[in-house]
Amino acid sequence: MRLIIERNALLKALSHVTSVVERRNTIPILSNVLVAATGKSVKLTATDLDIEVIETAPADVSQEGSTTVSAHMFYDIVRKLADGAQVELSLGPDEGRMALTSGPAKFALQVLPPNDFPDLSAGDMSHAFEISAADLKRLIDKTRFAISTEETRYYLNGIYLHTAETDGTEMMRAVATDGHRLAQIEVDLPKGAEGMPGIIVPRKTVLEVYKLLEDTEASVKVELSTSKIRFSFGDVVLTSQLIDGTFPDYGRVIPHGNDKILSIPSASFAEAVDRVSTLSSDKGRAVKLRLGEGKLTLSVNNPDSGSATEELSAAYDADDLEIGFNARYLLDITSQLESDDAEFLLSDPGSPTIVRDTSDKAALYVLMPMRV
Amino acid sequence: MARDVSDWPKTIVHADMDAFYAAIEQLDDPSLRGKPILVGPNSDRGVVLTASYEARPYRVGSAMAMAKARRRCPDAVIVPPRFDRYTEVSKSIMGVFADFSPHVEAISLDEAFLDLTGTNHLFGRPRELGTKLKDAVREATGGLTVSVGISGTKYVAKVASDYRKPDGLTIVPPEEAQGWLAPMPVTRLWGVGPKTEKRLHAIGLETIGQVAAADPDWLSDKLGRVGQHFHALACAQDPRRVEGQRRSKSIGSERTLGQDVSDREEIRRYLRRSADEIGRRLRRKRYLAYGVRVKLKTAGFQILTRQHRRRQPTDVADALYEDASLILNNFDHPGPFRLVGLAAYDLVRQEQTDQADLFSAPQRPRKLETAIDDLKERFGPNVLRRATDLRKARQTPNLDFLHDDEEDDDEK
Repeated sequence: MRLIIERNALLKALSHVTSVVERRNTIPILSNVLVAATGKSVKLTATDLDIEVIETAPADVSQEGSTTVSAHMFYDIVRKLADGAQVELSLGPDEGRMALTSGPAKFALQVLPPNDFPDLSAGDMSHAFEISAADLKRLIDKTRFAISTEETRYYLNGIYLHTAETDGTEMMRAVATDGHRLAQIEVDLPKGAEGMPGIIVPRKTVLEVYKLLEDTEASVKVELSTSKIRFSFGDVVLTSQLIDGTFPDYGRVIPHGNDKILSIPSASFAEAVDRVSTLSSDKGRAVKLRLGEGKLTLSVNNPDSGSATEELSAAYDADDLEIGFNARYLLDITSQLESDDAEFLLSDPGSPTIVRDTSDKAALYVLMPMRV
Repeated sequence: MARDVSDWPKTIVHADMDAFYAAIEQLDDPSLRGKPILVGPNSDRGVVLTASYEARPYRVGSAMAMAKARRRCPDAVIVPPRFDRYTEVSKSIMGVFADFSPHVEAISLDEAFLDLTGTNHLFGRPRELGTKLKDAVREATGGLTVSVGISGTKYVAKVASDYRKPDGLTIVPPEEAQGWLAPMPVTRLWGVGPKTEKRLHAIGLETIGQVAAADPDWLSDKLGRVGQHFHALACAQDPRRVEGQRRSKSIGSERTLGQDVSDREEIRRYLRRSADEIGRRLRRKRYLAYGVRVKLKTAGFQILTRQHRRRQPTDVADALYEDASLILNNFDHPGPFRLVGLAAYDLVRQEQTDQADLFSAPQRPRKLETAIDDLKERFGPNVLRRATDLRKARQTPNLDFLHDDEEDDDEK
């Protein structure tokens, strides 16, 4: 193997694939990146056995071949090379080291045989569709904060991507919940996604995809089966296992009869919550919301540190109500709201509350109260 | 006989209410005074929770089957327990103790250790101190008596409080403790039950003094590690501190096994049993646990632990077991193991946590478990057992001697 590649192109590709490599691995080859030179490009592959990321970058290949080297070390070296420098990679005749040369800098990196590198073979994909990067990012961005990290309910450790009917139209819907709050967002159903199975895309996968999409405007090709999903865009192909589990019937926890409606400017509400919750402890003390005609009073009472209250004027004309929420959760949700006003649909202090944007009906949040 | 308390390196008091439940019943209902009474459910399968002193000459006592107790003492009045009332009285007693020392370790509703080191200028010598404590309890409760033991260690203080019951006050200066214990039978050693008693007798040890005189290494050979522990107690050594304001930090249950295990399924069976036990204790103490920890001790005495913090605290045995079972996968060691333990830590009061859950799935197992709690409360701990436990039960005595008291089994 022998090739020459421009440093920035190599760095970008390496940074994309390296982020799935775990810092600590019990299987040594999982710390490595697979470097394969063919035709006019070099293909870099990294995996943690659940996710595989492949990125191709143009290169001047004089001899085809492949090897694997430590991903983080490779990335660190390339990062420290000069902007725009040429990098030569070659595998000597004994194949024990990969030589990396850039100007006066020379490295010889230990390798592991490419044949040992695991192949996350995808098998047959049952559905394929194109979705705009904007829509995909929106599906992830609006729900990821609610993904559970609790191991016991592993089926909540991802985003539930499925089709659902809203007002007679099939939509693509993403739902995430950790049992305390739930986020739901939908976008137009892409062509080809009709009849797709409901799938749970793991947290790490959606976060990786979101990162990789950062500066992509193009459309993303999605292929999926009941056990795998693959995203292809630009020079990147990311394949991931899905969570093998059943997402709970979330529809039954979304209340329909909440008739007490509070409407309040999102920004000033979030700021006030942030201010009073300064006094709450990290275990998630509740912020109490007292709703009365035309106003909302926020308060926190922490026996260890003191108390705080703040009154806001708000549109509310139902019966008085007192309800508590975890301050962190309120802030997470309000940070998702894009329009000026947030709408709370409440029932009673022990029942789920709906929060939504007044202007964006495609997104819906459900929040379980805390006892106060 | 007592010199100034200040001469003692430590002053530890053990206070133990006399026939607590029965005494409260007699206090509240004058018609029961002077009569033998048995507090407990009036059913054939129930057990006696407390027998009044009037009933004790008939050789009845706590944990005896109600039917048997009735046969032995046919004249006894059987009184169903009123735990709310006992808790209320307990609170006022603990309040009295707290007036004496900031270091009060409540062992159960009716029993506590107090560290009164260096308080002689406040309460006087041990005898004065003990008398004041007893008077204060009598006054606060309207006439209940407490037996008090005072010495330099928790163990000796506990033996002392039991020395002259009821209404006793026994003071054992630290330097006299070993000699004072020496003539007592080995059953007075903390942690010696009927089985260990037999084993001790079998190797020729009848009294605590004989245990103290024995070579600790020889004891360990004969009895295992508890041998060292018994030897230390017999020499009146007990380094445990009074745990101060005891908000139990963890609740655990572990078993040293009769036979080492390697098989994961078998380990799971022990974890299952520990989870049931811990769930029951969490519910009784009204705690929820965020943390779950599995402990394994290898045949080579290496202790391995792995833990996990839950997002939602629980007191449901099913949930604890589910966590424990997952945690078990994080142990690489193939075994064999000689001890399997499970602990719930990072505890919060039930009324303190309060984030409701959208999918409150644990409700069903919790209802089942609280129903089982009720059964065990009424009919005794053995009324229900998991079928998987029946076969193995005999081989695995719980050797955890620190957990000698049914009410006080928090992990130290």
